Amino acid sequence: MSNNVPANKYNKYKLIGKNYTTPDLYAKVTGRSKYAEDYRADGMLFCKLLLSPMPHARVRSIDARAALAMPGVKAILTADELPPPADSINDNGTVILANKRGDRGLTREPLYQGDPILAVAAVDEVTAADAIEKIRLDLEPLPFVVDPLVSLRPGGPNARTDGNVWVRGAQPPATPGRPPAVVPPDVAVLKWTEADFAEAKEGRLPMGKATDEWTVGDLEAGFKDAALVMDETFVTPNSSHQCLETRTAMAYWQNGKVFVHSGAQSTAQAVPAIARWLGISPDNVVFISEYTGGGFGSKITGAISLIIPALLAKKTNMPVMMRISREEEHYIGRGRPGFHGRMKVGFSKEGRITALDMFVICDNGPYDQVGDAASSGRIVSLLYQPLAMRWRAVTVLTNTPPRSAQSSPGGMQGIALMEPLMAKAARKLGIDQVAIRRINAPEGKAKFGPLIAGKQAYATSAFLKEALDRGSEMFKWDERKALPKRSGTTARGVGVSSSCYVGGSIGFDGLFVIKPDGRLYIQSGIGNLGTESVHDVHRVVAELVGVPWEKCEITWGNSAKNLPWACPSGGSQTTHAMTRAAHAVAMDARKKLQEIAARDLGGKPDDYEVANERVVRKGGGPGMSLAQAAKRAIQLGGIYDGHELPKDINKFTVASATALAGQGLLAVAKDSYPRDGVTHSYVATFAEVEVDLETGQYRIVDFLAYADVGTVIHPNALGGQILGRSILGIGHAIGQKWVYDQHYGLPVAKRFHHTKPPTILDIPQKMQWAAVGIPDPETPIGARGIGEPPVGGGCAAILNALSDALGDEVFRRAPVNADTILASLEAGRPMQEPLTAHI
Amino acid sequence: MAVIHDVMPAFELFQPPTVDDAVRLLGQYREDAWVMAGGLDTFDWLKDRIKRPKVVVDLSQVRELSGIREANGGLEIGATTTLTEVVRHPVIRGKYGILSTGAEAAASPQIRNQGTIGGNVSQDTRCWYYRAGWPCYRAGGNTCFADTPTAINREHAILGADRCVAVNPSDSAPALIALDAKFVIRTPKGERVVDAEDYFIGPGTDITRMNILRPGDLLTAIRLPADWAGAKFYFEKVRDRNVWDFPLMNVASAMVITGGKIERIRLAVNAAAARPLRLAAVEDAVRGKEPNAATGEIAGRLAVQGARPLRFNAYKIPLMRNLVKRAIGGVEQAAWA
Amino acid sequence: MGLIQWATSPWGREVPIHISFGLLWVSAIGGLLFLVVHALYVGYWAKSAEAHSREAVGTGIASRVPERVARHSFGARLFHGVMALAMFALLFTAFLPKMGVRFAWVTYHWIAGVVLTISVIYHLFHATFWLDFWSIWPDRVDIEDAARRLRRALGQAAPAPRKFGKYPLENKLYHLAILCAGLAVIGTGVLMMSRVRTPFFTRDPYLFGFSDATWGWMYVLHGLAGIALVALIIAHVYFALRPEKFFITNSMIFGWMSREKYLEHHDPQRWPVGEQAPEAGAAGGSKSRVPA
Repeated sequence: MSNNVPANKYNKYKLIGKNYTTPDLYAKVTGRSKYAEDYRADGMLFCKLLLSPMPHARVRSIDARAALAMPGVKAILTADELPPPADSINDNGTVILANKRGDRGLTREPLYQGDPILAVAAVDEVTAADAIEKIRLDLEPLPFVVDPLVSLRPGGPNARTDGNVWVRGAQPPATPGRPPAVVPPDVAVLKWTEADFAEAKEGRLPMGKATDEWTVGDLEAGFKDAALVMDETFVTPNSSHQCLETRTAMAYWQNGKVFVHSGAQSTAQAVPAIARWLGISPDNVVFISEYTGGGFGSKITGAISLIIPALLAKKTNMPVMMRISREEEHYIGRGRPGFHGRMKVGFSKEGRITALDMFVICDNGPYDQVGDAASSGRIVSLLYQPLAMRWRAVTVLTNTPPRSAQSSPGGMQGIALMEPLMAKAARKLGIDQVAIRRINAPEGKAKFGPLIAGKQAYATSAFLKEALDRGSEMFKWDERKALPKRSGTTARGVGVSSSCYVGGSIGFDGLFVIKPDGRLYIQSGIGNLGTESVHDVHRVVAELVGVPWEKCEITWGNSAKNLPWACPSGGSQTTHAMTRAAHAVAMDARKKLQEIAARDLGGKPDDYEVANERVVRKGGGPGMSLAQAAKRAIQLGGIYDGHELPKDINKFTVASATALAGQGLLAVAKDSYPRDGVTHSYVATFAEVEVDLETGQYRIVDFLAYADVGTVIHPNALGGQILGRSILGIGHAIGQKWVYDQHYGLPVAKRFHHTKPPTILDIPQKMQWAAVGIPDPETPIGARGIGEPPVGGGCAAILNALSDALGDEVFRRAPVNADTILASLEAGRPMQEPLTAHI
Repeated sequence: MAVIHDVMPAFELFQPPTVDDAVRLLGQYREDAWVMAGGLDTFDWLKDRIKRPKVVVDLSQVRELSGIREANGGLEIGATTTLTEVVRHPVIRGKYGILSTGAEAAASPQIRNQGTIGGNVSQDTRCWYYRAGWPCYRAGGNTCFADTPTAINREHAILGADRCVAVNPSDSAPALIALDAKFVIRTPKGERVVDAEDYFIGPGTDITRMNILRPGDLLTAIRLPADWAGAKFYFEKVRDRNVWDFPLMNVASAMVITGGKIERIRLAVNAAAARPLRLAAVEDAVRGKEPNAATGEIAGRLAVQGARPLRFNAYKIPLMRNLVKRAIGGVEQAAWA
Repeated sequence: MGLIQWATSPWGREVPIHISFGLLWVSAIGGLLFLVVHALYVGYWAKSAEAHSREAVGTGIASRVPERVARHSFGARLFHGVMALAMFALLFTAFLPKMGVRFAWVTYHWIAGVVLTISVIYHLFHATFWLDFWSIWPDRVDIEDAARRLRRALGQAAPAPRKFGKYPLENKLYHLAILCAGLAVIGTGVLMMSRVRTPFFTRDPYLFGFSDATWGWMYVLHGLAGIALVALIIAHVYFALRPEKFFITNSMIFGWMSREKYLEHHDPQRWPVGEQAPEAGAAGGSKSRVPA
């Protein structure tokens, strides 16, 4: 039982909401867990990558003769040998057309330093590396840009030969009778004028033509009615995902099937992705990923780089291991796009936001478009509920490593742009920091985002006000804000931040078998990326089928082991999506058990209830054990043992269920429960900092994240997520970043001690979490996901505590370090370069 | 020829058991030899395939190089004594606490368990251009990439720059200078003992080296004289992260105070220049004065005279001023009401 | 040993960065070898071969030649002295560190470089507009006489070479070589100043937009010209110290040579002095005057 979730009327479960030991824990703490790099296969080769030394170039020629002549060198793989980009079809049958400008793993036109050009397979890594040094590469340098604003300047360079911004792709004519295809974005050239850039001299973000925008409400009226209008520029850092496990992959082929070992945020969903990347049928893909050392959005369906060992394995007919080094991971391991943002916000004298005009530039990197810009607008809209809002954005291509979603993509940046402004506004208006967030906080079916067909979307529920109230009480906010700010050479400050992000999807499958030994054999297609949702969600099955957890066996991490179709563990969707699927499949089992009992013991199925490992007649009477029911299910066959399957389940689940048929009572179901609204989770975050005014160093002395995540499934895992992701956000406030030399377009910060993820001694000295615990009304268990919402809160609470301690004239971008603090205090004004990217 | 990092190339490894053997090997292979103590600086270079020695002389088996002994009323610390041993040694803690504090400020516990005191003072600069293998002056090239209009140089030098603007990253070096430590060097010609501050050289003297060691030379020990045992010490390191980070700047001072006045003082800062700087002018200026905030202010202002900032490191000037001030006058502690 | 040191540029390309500094020794030894060979040649073989005819000058002309023939104006000598000082400073600051003498040489080097550059600019103007500009360039007579000397040295019949103009051919050729090497070090050196920290402007190695390879070749040219200057200066010092050339050395110190030496070695037609000189200001004319 956890103290972090206050007891309430909703805590009615035996297992849900209770701590337990996950089945993978001992292996993790003893080192027995096997990650991709730990696997070996007979005759295994190693491959190494040749990375582009230039930010943008064309490969004129590759001379690998000397390398291939070396003893022990087996093969070379270049971009010419890659399968072409393939379209995909989603669960709804919608065709998603391939983005021809996407990252393909290897390239003949490298678009950033570190873009892999070729790979060499050899008997060991030293030989492969020596071989790479023998390769003569003739590169033609092409124009490059690493700063999005530089690219938008008149005559500025373009990151791709065909343009510098992503725009919406043209929709091809629809095929009658089929849903319209999802088209990839297109690349265009966008340059702003010198007049647009005039404001840059003042440190304000220039706002030229945007490529995307929406408006809700009467912006002009909102500003007119405002008692205070603020107009602030803020810049957020680019940051690598820095998963502890790099995207190492090992692959081999047997009987026409490819076996791939690598990390991924989903075991099930990696299979069709790998099939698409390799141009083969999903039936011929076996994906093994029992443990994944972190993903944070960078390994949602695995990483495309895994096709390199797979294709080399095919070429050499030997297993091939590709170990990715930390420097390589810096290049190909993905990162969060930094934002240049400008927010113009009008407040009533009570602090209510009357109008919000948001402009963001998203530094996309050179490949596939990230959705950060779009989601930043939706999240700001939901979190602050402005009476009128305009959102404008440009997603600019740069010759920097490819970006992907990173925990709270867009949300973190949007909140980091908005929160320092909120803190400043509260000070100007003389309103309490918690109060100004409370008055603007979403509640219930809060509307957000653009008008679609004349209507805004809305949340399933929101209990952020409760989180703010309870959090400020727990943090003793009112007492602390009254404490003195200065003593000696130390300044103290407290900060609060609101935060939210999407917290769940729907429509996935559950699958388990009750075998004649009376145990539950639960199949989990979820990735084991450290969040524990791979196991946690199945507590719902045990709870609802009335089986002690000790009698549940979970199979996960190997697509050959008959796993059901599951959501990818990105976008904090798993706890929500897969507790729904678990609920659906548990209900399927209960129904089948009731039917079997009724069939054998008489009466109607509804006369029976499932509890305590038995299905028994309600109010006492005959019953049977689950073991007996399992035997009967096999005898009965049909729907009971999986020989007949529901029509609505995913074909991936069909294959798995078919393979498991006949082993016991087979429960399989798709989550088809209704949902009204878009699921989001919320966090109120509080922090206190102490700044040394003579050195600029600061410490986070206290921290609290109070979350609204609906029903709590596994308190320890939830706490790990809330605090862990808060730290991820804190990293953006206190140091994590990329650094580029703009003359050469090359990164100079590539290692951990340069990119500065927070260390264990940088995290708050005191760190607490709590959860409101009110179930979400739109999902049967009431649980929502939590991975992402704490990130923006972690970042912004620190920024706000710093401005409380130091005043509003110290920083205007994140991260904030000793250099910024000291230089600004010395000068009495913000001394950071306001707009230069990657400093 | 294509460039690849992160795979250590082959080299010949020697693990001599004695100093004599080590010196003989270094004399034999000269420029082709690389001296390895804890390996933390070494493996970075080797893994990146930027420094390509033919021969690595690993000192880990030379037992006489490791350990802390009492000598002439002071201490002699073997060059391969780990930082952890230095941090924990009771006499160092008791009488030369500044060295314990300085050594403990370095890196992380894991690195201190492996890293040596000799390695910490002899490590190469962390300039990220140089470390990335760019052909800069320090790498034998013809330019500095860190001192340009587009360079990112917040961690670089404000003093003593001469074409190269890299800084020395050692945390123990300023403490050793404050303690008037002596560095014992075995050269092919015999043993040589130099003052701590003379061990380090700036780019004006030799742009490709951080210290006076030439091929064939070996730092064998560091001696702490008794003169400064039990003095009033101050050490502070400012960094971005609280562990596993190099200094943005650090300061070390040792003062002997008699009758409320500074009778003797030694003061050094590091990460301000390519070599740890002993601030002799500041020492002269404050000798005979009271060690208070006012003296600290004078000292701080004097310390940064001649400092020349780059685009991103102007903060180092107030930082150095404040650190020197604190090293003399102490810190005004917070006392929350 | 290669002639050039190569490095990998930030963009992974092989670029030159310097000459191999071993070439310094090649140049120094080459200069010394030349000196030895020349001394032997002069001492044992060329004794008999005259550099030019010993034909006496008509007394009419000779009587008009002053006692002290003005050869180098004060401005020219000042330039020569400053240039020599700067050149030695540059060579020592450049090469002593390469030979293991460690000191902070860059500031001295660039200051000396600036002095050299200014002095050379001065000289260019001075020589172009105030001195007998053409007197230092080899002309048709020099080439004919050189051919005659060569034929005579080889034992063939040839008319006696004529006396020199203001400067002997070797002197002119040496000036040409110094001019090439000097302009190369100065031209590259001036560009290289953009990469040096000075009080005058912010260091900006990207000012001219040159590629890493272009810069590399510039350093190579600077280095090659620099080591060429080592050999040239060894030769220069050697000639200045040879007894039979003292009168030339002296004229660079004091500004004049004696009438005897003038009449012995120089052709008054080709180097008119004294009252026979044309009017001042005539293009290409000599402005030599007897010093006051």
